[in-house]
Amino acid sequence: MHKYSFFVYSNFDKVAANIICLLSGCSNMYQYDAIDQQIVEERVNQFRDQTQRFLNNELPEAEFLPLRLQNGLYVQRHAPMLRIAIPYGMLSSKQIRKLADISRRYDRGYGHFSTRQNLQLNWPTLESVPDILAELAEVQMHAVQTSGNCIRNTTTDQYAGVIDDEIVDPRPYCEMIRQWSTFHPEFAFLPRKFKIAVNATESADRAATQVHDIGLHIKKNDAGEIGFKVIVGGGLGRTPMIGTTICEFMPRKDILSYLEAILRVYNQQGNRLNKYKARIKILTKALGIDEIRARVEAEWEHLKGRENTVPEVEFERLQSFFTEPAYKALSNNPSSLTEKLSQSPGFARWYERNTFAHKKDGYRIVTLTLKKTGIAPGDATSEQMDLAADFADKYSFGELRVSHEQNLVLADVEQEQLVELWEAAKDAGFATPTLGLLTDMICCPGGDFCALANAKSIPIAQQIQERFDDLDYLYDIGDLDLNISGCMNACGHHHVGNLGILGVDKKGEEFYQVSIGGASGHDASIGKIIGPSFSEEEIGGIIEKIVSVYIDNRTEEERFIDTYRRIGIAPYKEAAYAKNN
Amino acid sequence: MQKIIKDGVIQDCDLNWIQDQEQAVEALAGDQKAKAIIPLNLWLDDAHDTSGVAGIWIDSTESTEPLAGKDLSELAVIGLNFLAFADGRCFSYARLLRERLNYQGEVRALGNFIPDQQGYMLRVGFNGFQFNESVDIEKALLLHKPFSVAYQGDVVDPRPVFARR
Repeated sequence: MHKYSFFVYSNFDKVAANIICLLSGCSNMYQYDAIDQQIVEERVNQFRDQTQRFLNNELPEAEFLPLRLQNGLYVQRHAPMLRIAIPYGMLSSKQIRKLADISRRYDRGYGHFSTRQNLQLNWPTLESVPDILAELAEVQMHAVQTSGNCIRNTTTDQYAGVIDDEIVDPRPYCEMIRQWSTFHPEFAFLPRKFKIAVNATESADRAATQVHDIGLHIKKNDAGEIGFKVIVGGGLGRTPMIGTTICEFMPRKDILSYLEAILRVYNQQGNRLNKYKARIKILTKALGIDEIRARVEAEWEHLKGRENTVPEVEFERLQSFFTEPAYKALSNNPSSLTEKLSQSPGFARWYERNTFAHKKDGYRIVTLTLKKTGIAPGDATSEQMDLAADFADKYSFGELRVSHEQNLVLADVEQEQLVELWEAAKDAGFATPTLGLLTDMICCPGGDFCALANAKSIPIAQQIQERFDDLDYLYDIGDLDLNISGCMNACGHHHVGNLGILGVDKKGEEFYQVSIGGASGHDASIGKIIGPSFSEEEIGGIIEKIVSVYIDNRTEEERFIDTYRRIGIAPYKEAAYAKNN
Repeated sequence: MQKIIKDGVIQDCDLNWIQDQEQAVEALAGDQKAKAIIPLNLWLDDAHDTSGVAGIWIDSTESTEPLAGKDLSELAVIGLNFLAFADGRCFSYARLLRERLNYQGEVRALGNFIPDQQGYMLRVGFNGFQFNESVDIEKALLLHKPFSVAYQGDVVDPRPVFARR
């Protein structure tokens, strides 16, 4: 039925968008027009030329480096790593099939979904990257600004558009920011990378906006107008910080000029001598929020009300891409679902953990977990990607999302179809029923793949998954974010895990530092290090001891983080460093 | 003679970018004054008669702020010196010269920028490119304008894409 919905529109653009949508086999996503397509194609040509000149020794390594980084290409421990952009985590089934195909033909048959909702390939050859980019352009994808000292992929809530308590769908705004930030001529050589995340719900912050260079919270003011609370100066890395509010309410029409003012102040005044002091969080801390606000506002005085003021018609255009798919009129809790829930504990567990309430009766949001024990968190094989595409087509209007916890999400599944989907997902290794539990870890690729890492992270994740393989115990522990980074660049977000593990190098040996009390939601906080680091062999046992302190001290309603906040770090420290009897 | 790219064409560079303060002071008294591009600080210093110089240059580490309220119309060239090509401050300076200070003369890139940056540089208001001497300027010209469309408004076309769609 959705396929015919374009007839109701009178606006030509919308009709065209829906026709393109039909052809590409997706539902409610942004669709490129001729301008978007031309930009990615010209980028492919530019990068092909740059790569060729590098290979011919016409372009020095030092000059090629930032050029390739701005295209997501790192030179890694074993081979180049290519990071493909998945704007705000949205994929059509056609796009993920292309990713599966590229991983199969140019890589070793798998890819790694990252915490910034992107996909990383670990084994492409440098020579093949331009061809990969050309293939991505065929399905409206690219690798633009997935690395380098520029504005990175804008991220948001993986449940955008399908949850009840959302103020508005954040995706049209993410797309607006994507276009504004893509090849921005003034901000391609910033002091350091720059990440923007958008949240649109008051009940949760699934995009970890407070630990981004800019976090945007969509709000409505008393007059009902849509705007943004702007948070600046959050970040992880060596000096983790929670962002500070720079503006309580910026009307949506003015947000681009305001972002431009922030970036212009940062581009001119951020530290360029020491890359560890170069993020906007350091500038914000050094100046103080009042001073940086004054400087941004002084700049904004010149910019507001001018060309970057976004007209209503543009918001309408952007919103027209994210219309609701053709939901059926259904009721909640059909008998097929309730019967299975009472009969099958395995299904009930999966339903409880891995599915989430949908705004429409009769639908449910389903997370396909990429956290099977023994496999690097976030890794998916080409076969799994193809299968996820099939699931998207069959159960969720041909659309799929990537979450910052490195899982895949089917946003619009009929409750009637949950049992069938669960059976199929189980067979594919997609249904580990542990979403949000201790073993649903965020983890970077670590020393097995990444040249920056001090230590391996994947074997640590595996060790913990193996140690906590008793599902009943895992459920009893309940909500607990455990995040692992292989170095202090913090790609695994260890600072904001309720438990964080950081790989460190001690005289050439790999050790692991444990922190406790981090959080990434509205109650964001940075974890505290409990003490000296542990060896790889010790780490699983230490996590177990820390979890036991929680079990022994919790009250009935308390999650892990709540107990920690009540009793403080001392009991955990004591347990971790107690001498074995 | 050194060549530059100006307004998309390779030309002889007939101006003299003087980096050293003392040499610049000497140039003010000499017969080559009209060809001199002198440091910003010297131009701002009332102790020197800088009238009639070809232009001034601003370092990455400085800013365009001291130019606010000054008459820039006498300056044929304002140079912006890239300390390192990854130091992007000059991109903002160029834009401010054009959009805030309404400077109409040549904005010339100096120093360690690279040919692959020209596309962005044109869009923020540069129209002169004085490359390091190691750069093959004929090849650099091929990289002058890598994109024919853009999302953002810029100095060349202030309309963002939503005003052009």
